[in-house]
Amino acid sequence: MKLSLPKRKSKQAEPAVADGDAEAAAAEPGPSRSEKRARKIAAGKHHSAEGGKDVAGWVDSRTNSTGIYTALLARHVPKGTNWFYTLGSATMFIFAMQAITGVFLAMYYTPSTTQAYASITHLTNDVFMGEFVRGMHKWGSSLMIILIFLHMGRTFFFGAYKYPRELNWVIGVVLLVLTTVMGLTGYLLPFDQRSLWATVVANNITASGPVVGPYLADFLRAGPEVGATTLSRFYALHMMLIPGLIAALIGAHLFLVVKLGTTAPPWVKATRPKGALGEETVPAGVPSPDDAEVPVGQAAASEPTPEETPVSEPAADPADAGGPDAGNAGEEPADPGAEPADDGEASA
Amino acid sequence: MSDSKNNNSPAEEPPRVTLPEAEPRGYFEGESMTRRKVFTAASLALGGVASMAVVLPVVGFAVAPLFERGRERWVAVGRLDDFKPDTYKQVVFTETPGIGEVGKTTAYVRQGSAEFDEDPGEYLAISTRCAHLGCPVRFVQAAKNFICPCHGGVYDFEGKRIGGPPVRPLDRFQTRIRNNHVEVGPRYSVTNQLKAVRARDPGEFTGGIWEYLYPPRPSTYPPPSN
Repeated sequence: MKLSLPKRKSKQAEPAVADGDAEAAAAEPGPSRSEKRARKIAAGKHHSAEGGKDVAGWVDSRTNSTGIYTALLARHVPKGTNWFYTLGSATMFIFAMQAITGVFLAMYYTPSTTQAYASITHLTNDVFMGEFVRGMHKWGSSLMIILIFLHMGRTFFFGAYKYPRELNWVIGVVLLVLTTVMGLTGYLLPFDQRSLWATVVANNITASGPVVGPYLADFLRAGPEVGATTLSRFYALHMMLIPGLIAALIGAHLFLVVKLGTTAPPWVKATRPKGALGEETVPAGVPSPDDAEVPVGQAAASEPTPEETPVSEPAADPADAGGPDAGNAGEEPADPGAEPADDGEASA
Repeated sequence: MSDSKNNNSPAEEPPRVTLPEAEPRGYFEGESMTRRKVFTAASLALGGVASMAVVLPVVGFAVAPLFERGRERWVAVGRLDDFKPDTYKQVVFTETPGIGEVGKTTAYVRQGSAEFDEDPGEYLAISTRCAHLGCPVRFVQAAKNFICPCHGGVYDFEGKRIGGPPVRPLDRFQTRIRNNHVEVGPRYSVTNQLKAVRARDPGEFTGGIWEYLYPPRPSTYPPPSN
């Protein structure tokens, strides 16, 4: 007994190979090359026939790196985008700088209560460029906090935290907190008097939070007093745990930026074709509400997109409706062009 | 999909077998879960067990110091006759070993006396850690007060708060007499009525409902009974 499945459009390998083979044969006549190719195809090593002739093409055919490039660097941005929009990238650059300088500082630093300060003075005074690298790390930490707040201010005053970007705001706040935790844990590492007492005070402040505060402080300093284990604990948090979390959350932050697009500045007024529906007035059940509001100045309204076809006929299986086709239908027409219209409306 | 030649030629289309309509769709009759759901749940459960096998030991490893009490340390700080009942003597000793100079702390020690103390013990060792934010307080002989230089906290001769922002009296260290010497031991905090409780960090209230808002930590020593 066999259930007949709906037939899917599967990319057949054979025609593509045949085309590539024919092209190659036409471009480069010579029995020896085509023989080699035929042998390659027979051996299953014929992928270069699909991918183009250079390394970039080979990589692209396997990773869609052109698509990634387009999404990241060649995406549409709204009118009025200005220098304030670079603050997030600047913050990310500083994070990368902190990560790089931190790795190299770790080559000389010893997280031990008896050797930490000596290793820092050695690093600063004796190692070639040590003072410079340590200075970049030290001043970069302050700069990162400043840039985060400027970036946050831009997001707030441009209204860029509003729908659908609330989650990105939340991720950003978590990143802010994690960055301050980096500042706290990094401050102890030189282990001079200032480091130690700043950490003591920070732990006392932590402990003064009700109910969980005393235990949280005990966790941070690994006991009732700041001691030898506190330093290695702060070092591990500063080196491994928090940077990993920050990097992962930056990835999520960027993903949402690319997916949702950039917000137009509030002074850029949106224009909307007459009769176009707002987001809230789209009746339920339409799978892609963004289809209804046509991108401003785009011809996408009149073009029938291939994704519209499954919309007209109701999906047979809920599992199928959630497949990649449905995702494309909702996303693709609205992605670049519709963004200025949305945001202009939201902030106006 | 493997035998695609059947589908390619409509003339040879095999007779379709229509199953009885399942309710809800995708389920066979009498089924409570589809095979897919069972495997999804099993995969998630197995992954969760495997993750917990790693995460739980590691988290336990990290939070273990909350439940560990360091070795009880008693340090001789002076001969019995070094300390008078009417004034304090400053002593310096190591409270946290292993971190060098910064592990040292200062205490003011005197003999207990019925003249000054509501509940005189043999010897009294007052910590210099201000109960506000932990700055070191100084005993001013002329005023017979402890005064904190940071934010103006003032404590009386017994260490009770009489002014400024501190939230409780000064901490104390347990004392005992060994070989004609006074020894100081674990730190403890006191309530405003000088009842001994487990050591608290600066900024935490003691006594009453505060015992629940700032609960005692297992990493500290039980207070001396008084």
